[in-house]
Amino acid sequence: MPVNCSSCEERRAVLRRPKTGHSLCKDCFFHAFEEEIHHTIVSAKLFNPGEKVGIGASGGKDSTVLAHVLKVLNERYAYGLDLILVSVDEGISGYRDDSLETVKRNQQQYELPLKIVSYQELYGWTMDQIVKQVGLKNNCTFCGVFRRQALDRGAMMLGVNKICTGHNADDIAETVLMNFLRGDIARLRRCTSITTGSEGAIPRCKPLKYAYEKEIVLYAYFKKLDYFSTECIYSPNAYRGHARAFLKDLEAIRPSSIMDIIHSGENLSVKEDVRMPVQGTCTRCGYISSQSLCKACVLLEGLNRGLPKLGIGKHHKLHHKLLSQEPLSEQEERKLKAVDF
Amino acid sequence: MCEEEEVYCPELQDTTQGKSLGKTCMKCKESSAVLLIRAGDAFCKSCFKEYFVHKFRATLGKNRVIYPGEKVLLAFSGGPSSSAMVQQVQEGMSRDAPKKLRFVPGILFIDEGTTCGMSHEERQQNMSEVQNVLQQTGFPFYIVSLEQVFSLPGSILQRGVPEQRANYKQEVDRFMVQQQAQGETGCSDILENLAKLGVNVSESSRESDKMFQSTCRHPPDTHTQKLIQLFASAKTLTAKHQLLHTLRSHLILHIARTCGYSKVMSGESCTRLSVSLLSNISLGRGAFLPLDTGFCDSRYGDVDIIRPMREYSLKEIAFYNRLFHVSSVFIPALNTKVLENSSIQQLSEVFINRLQADFPSTVSTVYRTSEKLNVSKIDANQGTCAKERCLLCLSPLDTQVGEASAFHATQISHYISQKILMKFNDPANSSGKSCCQEGKCCKGPGYGDFCQPRALQAPSFVDMLCYGCRLTVKDLQSLDALPQYVLHEAEHRSRRIEMRKEIEEFLLDKDEENLH
Amino acid sequence: MRVQWFCFFLSCLTRRVLRGGAELLFDGIKQHQVTLPNQSNPWDIRQLLVWIRHNLLKERPELFIQGDTVRPGILVLINDADWELMGELDYQLEDKDNIVFISTLHGG
Repeated sequence: MPVNCSSCEERRAVLRRPKTGHSLCKDCFFHAFEEEIHHTIVSAKLFNPGEKVGIGASGGKDSTVLAHVLKVLNERYAYGLDLILVSVDEGISGYRDDSLETVKRNQQQYELPLKIVSYQELYGWTMDQIVKQVGLKNNCTFCGVFRRQALDRGAMMLGVNKICTGHNADDIAETVLMNFLRGDIARLRRCTSITTGSEGAIPRCKPLKYAYEKEIVLYAYFKKLDYFSTECIYSPNAYRGHARAFLKDLEAIRPSSIMDIIHSGENLSVKEDVRMPVQGTCTRCGYISSQSLCKACVLLEGLNRGLPKLGIGKHHKLHHKLLSQEPLSEQEERKLKAVDF
Repeated sequence: MCEEEEVYCPELQDTTQGKSLGKTCMKCKESSAVLLIRAGDAFCKSCFKEYFVHKFRATLGKNRVIYPGEKVLLAFSGGPSSSAMVQQVQEGMSRDAPKKLRFVPGILFIDEGTTCGMSHEERQQNMSEVQNVLQQTGFPFYIVSLEQVFSLPGSILQRGVPEQRANYKQEVDRFMVQQQAQGETGCSDILENLAKLGVNVSESSRESDKMFQSTCRHPPDTHTQKLIQLFASAKTLTAKHQLLHTLRSHLILHIARTCGYSKVMSGESCTRLSVSLLSNISLGRGAFLPLDTGFCDSRYGDVDIIRPMREYSLKEIAFYNRLFHVSSVFIPALNTKVLENSSIQQLSEVFINRLQADFPSTVSTVYRTSEKLNVSKIDANQGTCAKERCLLCLSPLDTQVGEASAFHATQISHYISQKILMKFNDPANSSGKSCCQEGKCCKGPGYGDFCQPRALQAPSFVDMLCYGCRLTVKDLQSLDALPQYVLHEAEHRSRRIEMRKEIEEFLLDKDEENLH
Repeated sequence: MRVQWFCFFLSCLTRRVLRGGAELLFDGIKQHQVTLPNQSNPWDIRQLLVWIRHNLLKERPELFIQGDTVRPGILVLINDADWELMGELDYQLEDKDNIVFISTLHGG
């Protein structure tokens, strides 16, 4: 019972689009997928001609598809962009080694320059070493915070105007749900905007914001793109896992729900009298931060002092001590030392 | 994607490892505790009652939306929350003068048995059970079947004019003076209004039991058939739930309007609201969270929906009802005995409950998140009038958003995925501002001004709906099964829009003439 | 009857299965060619899933199967076409069919 493509009505359809329920053949799917990303880029005015754009490349499906599509569109529509792949090496043996190989192959396949920044070189710690000290409970906090900065620093070294990341529609919807469930109103307000980061930081944008994960995976599969495919070897966060599972269950009931959640997120409006954290800069490294010390510096300080829990939870009161290099009291130390696996 | 913005949140920490039930009440420190409301807060029976009653009055007190002497309709579903709500109003009425609740209550029960395939006999039985419970309250009450939506007027979909009120304090003072002058008024005016009602509302205070027998117990068979058809035409349980919610709201609004109630109390608990918040986000109704779940929903203009039970958890309500013998009526509904992933609403409920079990602050966190939300920006400039509101839910339309939005991205996808099909099947449609011939324009960089794709079926109807209601209507096999008042009002609106367009064109032409 | 099925598992499924030391290794792209036992009724995907569950997945089948279908988030391709176009669980297998499972979870 082959179904025909709803666009050309000639060829056999290869997928049903979750966003609209249409069935498309391979060629019409490629066309539609690329054109939609083009539309996202044009309508949100993501780039200006002549800009140098860093693509956050992890070797995974999203960033590989992003790099491929940006390369194609840049040529097709003469965006005039100077594209560069930027990779972060977290120092996770067995996971990152392989995926970095993939990025290196992508570099050749797409003929794009590549810059790799490593945690080791930026922070003096690899993820493997961090896990050894903090265990598997909060390691994702470290990795996430460090990666965010690492990408920025790599981009800064390259003199890039903008960074693109491979966040897809599923990721955005999941983030809306997460922030809603944990009552993070400031993030809830920001998380659907396609470009983030203002003064000081390099703007980040998400050209795949409206692309479904399903379509990204199938695009990579049908285009036979070379991507690395495994989950990080350090286990994922349980809470995010809940939200992801819920999202996938929703998608199974009504495939458009992912877009519906993004629509919801885009149209939420926060009361004016709700207090929002003020953005400043870190007094130590100059990175944007709402506290006097940015999260990465606090985490790093904790690692270096052998108090890994320092950056986990809220210990703002201790920041002045960290800044002035004072030692912590014994009681404070005891609280921050315990590592529960 | 891995945890890029992962932040440790102490609120979500498991708090179950707290101390075992402290045997004495945390409030009076004397009696032994009978329940734990939040982790650690143990209450004895009498302190719990005080806490519960106080919360109800405090919620009403701090919001100050119900004026003394105002008629308030209590929406009663038979469930624990609305039963507790009715009981709280009774409790408030029975107080001594200074603390007495000073509004005039009435109760409404809507029998929705048809939507879940209940037999005539089962519905009768439910209704007489409800009647028994409601009679004991001494308040006037109405028992109406959902079938009545088939005789609603189109005006139900128009926003009413809010009554002008002096400030709260002045109103209270005026009321007190009036009270002294004339003493309590009964419900005679309600009966009068009832007589004027075009609909078969059965009001059953002591005298009119006979009328009750004859009217509400027998909604016309044709209406029952229509209702069954309508629900059968909804392809998903998710859409059935939304449809039921919409129709129920219209019917409540209608009863309130015809019987002169300017407030409706709806008994959603905090637990229920967290579930609605999550499911509404998933249903694309994010812009309306404050309307759909807030304390006061004033979208109808003349009748406000208020939710006084929104600070109670289901656990508190269940305990209260059990300890103080508040009877509720169990009535099967659309979601009774269905699989957990059969609808978005059901899935959300299961999800919240499960998360609550792992992270006990889930419900309160979600609930507090909603407190920080505002009615959508679109509503901020109140100047936008009736034409900007959704035909079905009367929320301000959330579909007039920029090009760079999920709404437009979806429309673009629709368009790209079917453009040739449209050209073949519907040449008439291409008379619009279609720019894509042979997919040409899609190759050009001037792609941004994509022509608006239009649904092939009944374009104007869909255009009048908000994002969320569009999703529901999309799941209907046809629009024909919808009640007449909806179709009439849609027609009415599209005629008005057309007329406005004609006038505008006429004015433009004139301008041009003047130029020459 | 012979059915080829590929696994493109990019997810925790891969890893957990790997870590569990089961003989089934979906390392990156892994191809399994299986011969299904003869039965009177034609095989459909529903039965194939049950068969895979009993014969190939030794550990944590809940990462692959939920209820009687695949876990949401796992894509199924039948001869390189979305199974949603082919009748999903009711698709009747034919000789030399290619079934691909791709997990979309994680690995971004």
